[in-house]
Amino acid sequence: MAQTDNFIINREDPILVTGAAGFIGPRVVQSLLRHGFRNVRCLTRSPRSTQRLSAAVAGYGEQGCLEILSGNLLSSEDCAAATANIAVIYHLAAGAGEKSVPAAFLNSVVTTRNLLDAALKQNGVVRFVNVSSLAVYDNAKKRKGVLDETCPIDLQPERFGDAYEFAKVKQDKIVSEYAEKFNIPIVTVRPGFVYGPGRSAISGRVGIGTFGLFLHLGGPNEIPLTFVDNCAEAIVLAGLKPGIEGEVFNVIDDDLPSSRNLLRLYKRNVKRFRSLYLPHALSYLLCTMWEWYSAYSDRQLPPAFSRKKWYRYWKKTRYSNKKVKTQLDWAPHVLTGEGLARYFESCRSAR
Amino acid sequence: MINVALVGCGKIADDHASQLQRVPHCQIVGVCDDELLMARQLYERFPVSRYFCDLETMLRATCPDVVHVTTPPQSHFAIAKQCLESNCHVYVEKPFTLSATEARRLVALASGKGLKITVGHNEQFSHVGRRMRALVNSGFLGGPPLHMESYYCYELGGNEYSAALLGDKRHWVRRLPGKLLHNIISHGVARIAEFLISESPTVIAHGFTSPYLQSMGETEIIDELRVMISEEQRTTAYFTFSSQMRPALHQLRLYGPKNGLVLDQDNETLIRLRGARRVSYVEKLVPPLAFSAQYVANVTGNARRFLASDFHMKSGLKYLIESFYRAITNDGPVPIPYREIILTASLMEAIFSQLGAQGCSLTETPNKRGQGVCSRT
Repeated sequence: MAQTDNFIINREDPILVTGAAGFIGPRVVQSLLRHGFRNVRCLTRSPRSTQRLSAAVAGYGEQGCLEILSGNLLSSEDCAAATANIAVIYHLAAGAGEKSVPAAFLNSVVTTRNLLDAALKQNGVVRFVNVSSLAVYDNAKKRKGVLDETCPIDLQPERFGDAYEFAKVKQDKIVSEYAEKFNIPIVTVRPGFVYGPGRSAISGRVGIGTFGLFLHLGGPNEIPLTFVDNCAEAIVLAGLKPGIEGEVFNVIDDDLPSSRNLLRLYKRNVKRFRSLYLPHALSYLLCTMWEWYSAYSDRQLPPAFSRKKWYRYWKKTRYSNKKVKTQLDWAPHVLTGEGLARYFESCRSAR
Repeated sequence: MINVALVGCGKIADDHASQLQRVPHCQIVGVCDDELLMARQLYERFPVSRYFCDLETMLRATCPDVVHVTTPPQSHFAIAKQCLESNCHVYVEKPFTLSATEARRLVALASGKGLKITVGHNEQFSHVGRRMRALVNSGFLGGPPLHMESYYCYELGGNEYSAALLGDKRHWVRRLPGKLLHNIISHGVARIAEFLISESPTVIAHGFTSPYLQSMGETEIIDELRVMISEEQRTTAYFTFSSQMRPALHQLRLYGPKNGLVLDQDNETLIRLRGARRVSYVEKLVPPLAFSAQYVANVTGNARRFLASDFHMKSGLKYLIESFYRAITNDGPVPIPYREIILTASLMEAIFSQLGAQGCSLTETPNKRGQGVCSRT
């Protein structure tokens, strides 16, 4: 547990968590309650979808310290209501799962801009935690390097990037613009693939299930996992630690499994299915050919596979969590072995 | 060169911008959205000259020949009217307008100014849709259709559209007179309208909220609809919309006095139904073989189009845009007759008014034709 005496706010100060009913949100709220914060406002999009949040905070008795607010960040009135008198904002809400670029953009970028505008009017916001993604990095130029916070951001996310990546790059851009222009104290957190109970999907960095066959593309690559509780703790600390305004933190656990190992464990512990390993040279060739055919046929096949995507997801890459550990005093308390066991158990029960 | 502008930069605008890239002799001179960020993201991803957050400014600055209206339906009438008054031809996404009155006014305004207007019923112009139309026009049915069945289903489930709609009581779709139905059914209704002659067919509609949605606490949205349409004892039609039946069909079945046709939009197949019966056991043996041959022909045709890079998911949209632009350039007939646009709007209005009159919390306008049936059970 981090040192609680060295936080930028008191435990009575109001905190806002957007996306509080999502996958990570309930764990962030839980972590805040565990740290003793007693004034947490949870923004959810639908009043119907709070079961996960209720389950996460069930053990923390003091219901009075939680305010659950239903609202849409596309509404400036809802943003104003959500940010009223708030000291720290944890912005987790995003257009995850959106397949169309405009929908992902609307629910990630426009919502973030609305929230930033509302925060500006408050005057009392001392920290805005922007939750982003590792997907924003341009991984093409570091052939044998380590992916860390110094890596360049993708400057052309519209070229073969998918909807989520495009939206996240643009979200980070608008956050940076606001930080620069209005001096908003922003900290950005970029988690790897967040896994844990409640999510049954296997990371796309391992491979893609299509046409009834799972194409294993990761091979010996490290998969940048972070267990949901560990990730939530890092996000919480990013909103509380002093002196880190403007910083970016990649959140990845220790002892990362290889793609091959993760797939083997998943098959053994969750379900058996057929998979075909494509060596890196072959998957690169496939992506190149797909990209070519997509252009040749005027996008008769959308550019679902491209060299850019290959670099981002399937190129052999190592990941560093040094900065988050040293500057946030963060450590992944749930070890990867235990995290995977809980994840697999949840996947089995969801079947 | 046709100068094109887009108003509304959401999901459907992406489809238009993508297809416009494939249409020769046109360029996107401007895109506009109330939300400037949305306009900018479209501008950044497609070859677009400028972006705006004000329609009047865009119309003045870019002087487009054609404006594509891809905003939510509530704004279609006002935006299309403004564009027509600025002497632009207009392509309005479906549903054309909220009411038949608005549809008539837009058509009248366009006609009065010598401009063209069309609606985004692009599925009627897919490869299979065009093949079906050619067969009908060649007299394959043996006369006008006697009966039609149009299925237009939508799987409400885990997709983002459903999540957004069901989770947000203020979603714009909920504010449409026909709510979910209003935003979806016009493709299926237009397929029937294409072959009707009367301006005021009898409509009997029956709608309800599915048990699936009820189990989620949903009480406003009608997601099951059955409609019977009849015109003066000549042609009848059934229209089915369902969020729950599987497969979620997108089909049109046409039955003429001589033969029939079955168009399957999802599979892109067109099957001819032979009207004449064969003798004895031949009727049990030959037709299945003939159907097999027809399916094989459909497969090879689809494969041939795919290999020729002419089988895009939105091929109907490109064809409709090209046809509309041709009508503008040559001052020829529009690809979708105005009578059909107005009739589709009238049929939808009749359906929603009946459902509303029966207490389905849709529109409150009483229906003067037919008898509506609506239940929530």
